[in-house]
Amino acid sequence: MTTSGSSFVQRYRIALLTLLALVLLPFVIGLFEGASPFEVWSNQSGMSRFIQGLAIEIFILALYALSYDLIFGFTGLLSFGHSMFFAVGAYLTGIALKSFGLNLWQTFGILMLAALAQALLFGIVLPRVKGITFALVTLGLSSVFHIVVMSRELGDYTGADVGLQGVIIPDFISPATERLRLYFVTLTILVVFYLIYRRFVDSPLGRVCKAIRENEGRAQMLGYNTFLFKLAALILSSLTAAIAGALHTIYQPIVSPDIAGLGFTVTALLMILIGGVGTLHGALAGAAIFRLLDFGLRRYLGESASFVNGAIYVLIVLFLPYGIVGTWQLKASLSIAHMRQGWQRLLEMVGVNVERRASRE
Amino acid sequence: MEQIPAIMRKNLVLIITLAVMLVLFVAAASGMSWQDFVITLLRGLAVGALTFLVASGFSLIFGLLDVLNLAHGTLFMVGAYIGWTVYVRPDTFVDILTPLALIISGFTLGDVWRLLAQRVPQSGLWRRVLPWVAIVPGVLIGFGVMRGYPVASWSLENYAESPVTFSFLASQGQRVIPAPATFGDGSPLIAFGGLILASMLIAFGLTLLRQSDIHTAAHVSWRHVVPFAGLIAGGLVVFTVNEPLTAWLFALDTNWLFLIAVLAAVLSGMGLGALMESTLIRPLYVRPIYQLMLTLGLSAIGIEIVRAIWGRPEFTMPKPALFAGSGEGCPAESLWLALQNSCSTMLFQGGRIRIYNEIFIPLVGLIVLIAVWLLLRRTRLGMIIRAGVQDREMVEALGINVRRVFTMVFALGVGLAALGGVLAAPSIGLSNTMGESFLLNALIALAIGGLTSYPGAAIGSLLVGMLQQFIIKYGQIGIAIPLTGIVFKPSPPLVPASTILLMVIILLILPNGLLGRKE
Repeated sequence: MTTSGSSFVQRYRIALLTLLALVLLPFVIGLFEGASPFEVWSNQSGMSRFIQGLAIEIFILALYALSYDLIFGFTGLLSFGHSMFFAVGAYLTGIALKSFGLNLWQTFGILMLAALAQALLFGIVLPRVKGITFALVTLGLSSVFHIVVMSRELGDYTGADVGLQGVIIPDFISPATERLRLYFVTLTILVVFYLIYRRFVDSPLGRVCKAIRENEGRAQMLGYNTFLFKLAALILSSLTAAIAGALHTIYQPIVSPDIAGLGFTVTALLMILIGGVGTLHGALAGAAIFRLLDFGLRRYLGESASFVNGAIYVLIVLFLPYGIVGTWQLKASLSIAHMRQGWQRLLEMVGVNVERRASRE
Repeated sequence: MEQIPAIMRKNLVLIITLAVMLVLFVAAASGMSWQDFVITLLRGLAVGALTFLVASGFSLIFGLLDVLNLAHGTLFMVGAYIGWTVYVRPDTFVDILTPLALIISGFTLGDVWRLLAQRVPQSGLWRRVLPWVAIVPGVLIGFGVMRGYPVASWSLENYAESPVTFSFLASQGQRVIPAPATFGDGSPLIAFGGLILASMLIAFGLTLLRQSDIHTAAHVSWRHVVPFAGLIAGGLVVFTVNEPLTAWLFALDTNWLFLIAVLAAVLSGMGLGALMESTLIRPLYVRPIYQLMLTLGLSAIGIEIVRAIWGRPEFTMPKPALFAGSGEGCPAESLWLALQNSCSTMLFQGGRIRIYNEIFIPLVGLIVLIAVWLLLRRTRLGMIIRAGVQDREMVEALGINVRRVFTMVFALGVGLAALGGVLAAPSIGLSNTMGESFLLNALIALAIGGLTSYPGAAIGSLLVGMLQQFIIKYGQIGIAIPLTGIVFKPSPPLVPASTILLMVIILLILPNGLLGRKE
C-alpha cells in the first residue's frame, strides 16, 4: 500500500507540485506585500487580488484551450468556429443572470442544454464536410452567431456592439468581494476538467479519436462509426468551452462581442500551438504563456506589443517545432546517450575539450 | 440528346439550388430600376475583381504548396502602401533604391560563398561560430549605416508632413518637391562600402548556416559576378542622378507614375513572397499546421511595421490623371468621351459611373484572369504547377526542381495580392485594416468556387462581390417582399453575413465548392 502510494506521488510529482504551488500562490504573493495569510483569506491584500485575477483569466483560457485541443489536437477536426462555443456560454450566463434573474444552478442547466445543442449543430454538418471545408463551414456558423450577437434587434439582451454589461453576480462568488473563493472555484473546475480529459484521452473512446486524427479511413475500416466518436469529442469540448465562457462572464461581468469573433478562435489555436498540439499539458502551458506574454508585453511595450508578440510566435514556430511541451516531450523521450552527446557539443562550443577532461579524471 | 437527363439527374441538387437562387435573385432584382441594377452590377464586378486578385494568389499557393497563407491580406495592404509611396513620394522611392540594390548585391554571389564555405573546416568550434561571426557584425554594420543614411521621408508626429497631408496635396495637384535628404558628416563612399560589406557578410553567414547548400558543387566563373557588379553599378548610378530623377518623376504625367507605382508594388510583392517562402515557410512543409501560426504571426508583424512606417490614420491615394478629371465635358456621355476628356465619371441612364472603380478595376481583373490562365495552360511552368496541384510527389519524382517552382508560385501569388492592393488604394483608400476584410472575402470566394480551382476562384470572387454590393444597395432601397407589402431593409452587418451564408449553403450542398475537384 505504501509503495503504491509513494509511486503515485513520484509519478505525478510535477503535477502535484504545480497544484500545490497554485493553491499557495495567493498567500505567498500576499506575504510579499506583508499581508498575513488571514488578510489574504479575507480578500484584503491588493497585490494578491491582482495576481489572483490574472490567474483566474489564465485558468479560464486554459479550460478553453483544453476544449480546443480535444477536437483539434486529439480528434483532428480543424474548427474555425470554436469561439462560438465559448461565447454561447458567456452570453447565456450573462443574459440568464441579468435579464431573467435566474440563479446559478438554473443558469448552469440551461448552459448544458445549449452546449449540447450547439455540439449537435456542428454534428449535423460533420458528416458532409471534411478538413478545411469543415473549418470554413464552422467559421460560417460562428460568424452568423457573431453577427446575431452584434445585431441591433437583440440589443436589449446582448448589448449589440457595446457588449453585455451590468451583470450582477451572486455575492458568494462575486469577483469583487469574494475573489479568493472564485480563484479556488476556477482552479477546482480546471483540475476536474483536466482529470476528465486525461481519462477521456486514455480511454478506448479517446484512443479511437486519436485513430481518427491519424487516419479516418482506417478507423472506419476497423469498424468504428467515426461520426459518433467525433460527436462525443465535440459534445465534451462544447460543454467545457461553455463552462469556460460562463466563468469568463462571472469574472469579468462584461461580455464583449469580440469573444465571438474569429480572432478568439485564433487565440485558442495559438495557445495550443505554443504549448504543443495534442498534449493536455501543452494546452495549459500555452494558455499561461499566451496570457502572461500578452500582459507583460502590453504593460512594458504598450503599442508595439503585437509586433513583439508576432515575432515571438514566428520564433516559436521556427525553433520549437512541436510547441513547448511537445518539443520537450520529444527531447525527453530520446535516449540518454543522445542527451549526453548534446552536452558534449555544448561544452565543445564553449571551448572545453571533453576527451582531455575525461582522461584527466 | 440522351445525355442531358443523365447530367440533370447527377447534378440535381446543384440545379435546384441554382434555380432557387435565380428565382430569389429575379424577385429581388425586379424591385430595382434598370439604372440601379447596372451600376450595382458594375460595383459588384469591381469588388469581385479586387477579391479575385487576392483569391487567385491564395488559391495558387494553397493548391500547390498546401499553405493557407493567412498573411495574404497583410501583403495586399503592404502592396497598397508601397504603391502609395512611389506615387505620392517618388523622392523616398528614389532614395531607397540605392541602399536596396547594395543590400541585395551580396546575395547574388551565391556560388562564391558556397566555394568559400567548402574551404572552411567542416567540423569543430570554428565551424559553429563562424556563421555568427559573419552575420552579427553584418547586421550591426547594416543597421549602423542605414541609421545615418539619408532617405527623404514623412513624419508621423508633424501633421504638416504626415502622409495624410502629402496625399491631400497630391490630390490637389500641388506636387511640391520636399527638401531632399543629404548626407550629414559621413561620406557616401563609407556608407556604400558599409552596405556592400554588410550584405556580403550576411550572405556568407547564411550560406554557412545551411549545411545542405555547402555540399552542392559550386562553380565560379566571371558570369556570376555580372549581376553583382550590375546591381552595385545600378545603385551608384541612381545615386548620382538622384536629384534629376526625383524632379523628373515629380514632373511626370501621373498616368505613367501610376504605372511605375503598380510595377514597383508588384515587384516588391514578388520579392517579399520569394523571401518569405525561401526562408520561413520552407522549413515548415513537414509540419503543415504550424504554417497557420507562422503566417498569423507574420500578419501581425506586417501590420505593426506598416503602422510604424506609415502611421495609423487612414489616407487616400489620388487617382491618376486619366480617371481624375472633373472639368469641361464631365461627366461624359459615353465611355469614349470620358476617356478623351479624362473624366472621373460618366453618365449612364441618369446614373453616374466612376470610371476608375467600375470600369478600370474590373478590366484589370479580367486581364489578370486571362494572363494567369494562359500562364497555367500554355506554358511549361503552368504545366508543372497544374501537375503539382494534382500530385506533388510525382512531379518531384520526375526530376523537376519543385522547390524553385514553389518559390515562384509563392512570389506570383503575393505579387497578385500586391497588385490588388495598389489598385484598390485609389478607390477605397489606405488603412491598417484593409487587408483583413479582403482576406475573409477571398477565403469565402475560394470556398464557394472550390479551394484549388483557378476558375473557381474567379466565379467565387464574382459571386461574393455581387452579393455584397446588391445587399448594400438593398440596404438603401429596401426589398419589397411579395404578397405582404413589407419592405425589408438589410442592415449593414448583413453584408458579411450574406456572403458567409452563401458559403455555408454551397458547402453543405457541394462540399468541394462549385468547381472543386472531387475527392
